Amino acid sequence: MEAIIKVEGVKKAYKKRKSKEVIQAINDVSFDVKRGEILGLLGPNGAGKTTTIKMICGLLTPDEGSITINGNDMKTQRLKALKHISAVLEGNRNLYWRLTVKENLEYFAGNRGVSRKDAAFLIQDLLHKFNLKHKENELVNRLSRGMQQKLAIAIAMSAETDVILLDEPTLGLDVETSYEVRSILQSIVKEYNRTIIISSHDMDVIQDICERTVIINNGNIVINDSVKNLLKLFEVRSYSITLGGFLSNHQLSLISHKFPHHTYKKETFQSILEIDLAKSEEIYQIIDILKMDETPVEAIDRRNVNFEQIFMKIIKGEKSNAFAQSS
Amino acid sequence: MRLLNLLNANIRKHFIEMKRYLPNTMAFIITFYIIFLAMFAGIKLIGDPSSQDANIQYVIVNYIFWYLAMVVVNDIGWQISNEASQGTFEQLSMSPMGIWRIMTARLISSTIVNFLIIVALLYISMATTGQWLNIDVITLLPILVLTLISMFGLGLIIAGMTVVFKQIQAFLQILQFILAALVFVQSNVLPFLVFFPIVKGVELVRNVMIDGVSLSQIAVGDFLILGFNAIFYFIVGLGIFIYCERFAMRKGLLAHY
Repeated sequence: MEAIIKVEGVKKAYKKRKSKEVIQAINDVSFDVKRGEILGLLGPNGAGKTTTIKMICGLLTPDEGSITINGNDMKTQRLKALKHISAVLEGNRNLYWRLTVKENLEYFAGNRGVSRKDAAFLIQDLLHKFNLKHKENELVNRLSRGMQQKLAIAIAMSAETDVILLDEPTLGLDVETSYEVRSILQSIVKEYNRTIIISSHDMDVIQDICERTVIINNGNIVINDSVKNLLKLFEVRSYSITLGGFLSNHQLSLISHKFPHHTYKKETFQSILEIDLAKSEEIYQIIDILKMDETPVEAIDRRNVNFEQIFMKIIKGEKSNAFAQSS
Repeated sequence: MRLLNLLNANIRKHFIEMKRYLPNTMAFIITFYIIFLAMFAGIKLIGDPSSQDANIQYVIVNYIFWYLAMVVVNDIGWQISNEASQGTFEQLSMSPMGIWRIMTARLISSTIVNFLIIVALLYISMATTGQWLNIDVITLLPILVLTLISMFGLGLIIAGMTVVFKQIQAFLQILQFILAALVFVQSNVLPFLVFFPIVKGVELVRNVMIDGVSLSQIAVGDFLILGFNAIFYFIVGLGIFIYCERFAMRKGLLAHY
């Protein structure tokens, strides 16, 4: 599949107003997004995620590097590039609260040069699709947050762009609306063949609907892989060992020294050692440590990790320079 | 066609908001009318009786123009400032039409939608004072169009400044008085003032509405000055706006309040 978005060697630094200290928000970031793909853009607060999003949307100019949308350079052909991308950046804050649902859709279509007449059919389609038809003449300030969020996404859809960028699309939504938004996003890709980039802290959303994730930390990309691959990779290396007794202090210090990514929980008659291994063979070293004091092993299970745990591991690994590099 | 659709969308939005928040619109008009009544009372009570009629006519034209300048120049600053804090400005910035075209459409739509109010205020003022001015549409139209273009330029400068600084409410308050000064000043005080925005336009409108000057009686030189001002201030305004937009994009201020 061809890449519709190309981010190449992008750098961005900010200067703090008072101290004049230069902060490198993005440091040499490169990645592609393929047509029809749902990409998750993740990172902890302050990682450089929003800066990257704003640069892709043409709201911020990179210091170095280039961003092209459907072959149009965002720096030199900004308006042409913007024809191919729309975004929901601040959810319900991106709406005119004094206008009705339909008036918002019509106004934003007009701002892209589309007449009310030409937009009418699409607007009706979107109102049905997003289950907002019964609220079309309701003022936005009277809608629930979930409905406002759906309207913001519908407006992005009404632009009929190849790419839709969504920043925290499920933030503040109840479980039911969150699921509704997820299913709408999936259908957007299937029915309308759009490319979607999602930035979210909700790892369930990422695991549920994204095919691939780019994880940014400290202004660098630490992971650019499919969600499936990441789940598989981390599942192999996460073990839960149930012991029929307790570890001695000596054993614990050896484990802590050799395997910093572990947790040890004591229960009434047994204890559980949860451990992340860089290589599968390292399990033998654990067995050797357990053998030292003849600690009985009752079970060794491979843990099923969810995407949230993987994200945390990657971010921690990046900081301690251990896990992410070894994987 | 796309530009017309853009203009149409902005006129419609402006009209809907004005209609939906009618009490707010009415309060604004009433405030302006009270200001006019205060000026009128001032002339009646403490003005020179021999030049009272001329002064009242002068005030009517000036104050109507002041309203127009406020609607065109000042309002765009408030709009951007409000939209930046609401979060809608970044959506406008992402339009493939270009933000400067949207801002120009906003300036034109404000003028069109407020035109009815301006005409109503003019007739109410004339009825209140009993001073009926010469409304020669054919003569007034070209003067108004050229003056408005220079006002749009000024509006774009204010819009550009608001894009960068955002919290310029205090400046916008002061700007009301700067606009009043530009409207009320007479160019015979300092001849170079004709090259300031608005000044020449108001002067010619006064000549038409108070002295009954017709289109053929206006010197070509006056129209040249008006035309020069229109082109100069619009190009400068546009240049400053585009520079401010790019500066905001470099510094990350475009979608930041």
